[in-house]
Amino acid sequence: MSSSTGNILEIHDLHVEVEGKELLHGINLAIPEGQVHALMGPNGSGKTSLMMTIMGFSAYKVTRGQIIFDGRDITGLSVTERARLGIAIAQQRPPTIVGVKLRAVLDYIVAHDSISAEEVTQLVRQARVENFLDRDINAGLSGGEIKRAELVQLLATCPRFSMMDEPESGVDLDSLALVGSLVNRLFVRDSCRPVRRRSGLIVTHTGHILKYIEADRAHIMLDGRIGCSGNPHLVLQTIAERGYAECVCCMNEGA
Amino acid sequence: MAKSLNTVDVVAPDEVQTLADVGVQIRPDEPQVRAGTYVLRDHLPLCVQTYREGLEMMPIAEALRRYDWLRERYYWKLISPDQDEVTRQVAAEAEPQGYFIWVRQGTRITRPAQAGLFISHEGLSQKLHNVVVLEDDTELHLITGCTTGRAVRSGYHLAVNEAYVGANATLTFTMVHSWGPEVIVRPRAAVAVGDHSHYINNYVSLRPALDIQSNPRTYLNGVRATAKYMTVILGSRGSIIDTGGEVWLNGEDSGAELVHRGVCTGGKMYQRGFLVGNARCRAHVDCAGMLLDPGEDGFIESVPGLRSFHPEAQMSHEASVGKVAPEQVEYLMSRGMEEHEAISMIIRGFLDADIEGLSAELDARIGEIAALAGHGERK
Ligand SMILES: Nc1ncnc2c1ncn2[C@@H]1O[C@H](COP(=O)(O)OP(=O)(O)OP(=O)(O)O)[C@@H](O)[C@H]1O
Ligand SMILES: [Mg+2]
Repeated sequence: MSSSTGNILEIHDLHVEVEGKELLHGINLAIPEGQVHALMGPNGSGKTSLMMTIMGFSAYKVTRGQIIFDGRDITGLSVTERARLGIAIAQQRPPTIVGVKLRAVLDYIVAHDSISAEEVTQLVRQARVENFLDRDINAGLSGGEIKRAELVQLLATCPRFSMMDEPESGVDLDSLALVGSLVNRLFVRDSCRPVRRRSGLIVTHTGHILKYIEADRAHIMLDGRIGCSGNPHLVLQTIAERGYAECVCCMNEGA
Repeated sequence: MAKSLNTVDVVAPDEVQTLADVGVQIRPDEPQVRAGTYVLRDHLPLCVQTYREGLEMMPIAEALRRYDWLRERYYWKLISPDQDEVTRQVAAEAEPQGYFIWVRQGTRITRPAQAGLFISHEGLSQKLHNVVVLEDDTELHLITGCTTGRAVRSGYHLAVNEAYVGANATLTFTMVHSWGPEVIVRPRAAVAVGDHSHYINNYVSLRPALDIQSNPRTYLNGVRATAKYMTVILGSRGSIIDTGGEVWLNGEDSGAELVHRGVCTGGKMYQRGFLVGNARCRAHVDCAGMLLDPGEDGFIESVPGLRSFHPEAQMSHEASVGKVAPEQVEYLMSRGMEEHEAISMIIRGFLDADIEGLSAELDARIGEIAALAGHGERK
């Protein structure tokens, strides 16, 4: 089932404020079904805010514009409704919750989703999160451990559209291969007719994760706007060589 | 051992369910799950059964007739009849009501004994005097379920509870309350604990009454005696709930830990925990409250306190009151949970945190509170 445009996600003129301050100033973005896009941009430019808004977190207030998922306007839907449509996020800084164990969340997913307990057990082993199953969720985890714990939850829910906020940051080189393979699994083929993988959006500063998951397109976010978009390799190369300053110039010229 | 009709034959099916809700299980295979059962409906003891050698359960009036030493050594010895209005009213009863439970020396009982006390008539007053005696080298887990029939809205539950724990003994007292909305509840409890003995006091209130005051006092008289209190309260609109307790640390190297967890969905809630240090000891009080949609005048007041008479009494307390953080709720919602499921999971975590070795009984009740609280929020 796909929308008439073939886009799993469309964002039109999205304005978002947090605590009364506008952070996103008219975002336009389209991600075709089966594509994975990369999102780059300097610290504080609004990448996390965009993802949190797509997921529907209430701190991020949409003041104008729409979010269309699979042809349906989801701008007013709750986080639960969005999750159940198949949208998921691995957060950059997920909250810790006292007394709530990662195991309890995975048990919930087993009870409500199609994944079996055995499959989750296997996932847990592969992602090497056994040791924190019975600790408070996200509490006292290292940067790399948080990524793995988040990815296990995403893999267990098998989302149609996964957002990952800096999956490789804080991950050492050895663990990067593990995180990379987990991320890769999230986007495995979900349909044979046509041959197509799952869709998603990945925030990355370094581009390391793109060695494990091929991105179809990259976008650069600057000060709450999408500055430019293009081939991920070209975009990465440009940033590596000339930094974001070049993009700022380019954007100002365009304006 | 006392003999009477089988408990399943004398308790009506709807009452069996009401009692089950507060942890009192009336069922054919009861001897396999319980060490003994005492059920009081209104003013009438419905059944008294013990399934274990060394454990005696009987109505207090009968026990007073049978055992002179009960009056001499235990009855009204920890609590004075003129302590307050509640004790005066209980003392004024012509024939005292309530249970006597006696565990003879050397008897360690792993299965819980249970006492169900319930009010089946609108506006009825129960005035009870319960005495529990554990001799040396004994162990007992007593579950007391106090409740009102489904249709009952109002009533009075006044109780004097005295418990004596000898040396090398452990008493776990789990009290589960679920009341009609206009019931007034006044237990007055005191426990004396001997050398190397342990007292564990669990109190869970599910359906809050109009007005509850329950602050049992424990005297840790023995060397290395310990007390552990776990109080879990769900408060709702219109209720006044004042719970917690006091521990007097009189014995050398005695220790106490008081934990209070309250979820307020309206009404007034007082969380108490008071320590009196009379010897070298270690003790801590921890009160934590969560305000969940408390309405206009709902509040939680945490009142931990310490009084030290001894320089080597190491006592401390902490208290906090907070709310369910939206980013936590939404985090769980982003995994597909409904809002109320997410809130329940967070409340459950809040209530469970720092409690080890929760009994199955308590665990089930806490799950229930969490589920109720989750639904409360949804509006
Ligand atoms: N809850 C909040 N309250 C106030 N300001 C916020 C809040 N969340 C984000 N901001 C601000 O919004 C801006 C964008 O933040 P955001 O986290 O989206 O940036 P980012 O592009 O993800 O940055 P980074 O690369 O550092 O992760 C920042 O200036 C940040 O301080
Ligand atoms: Mg960010």
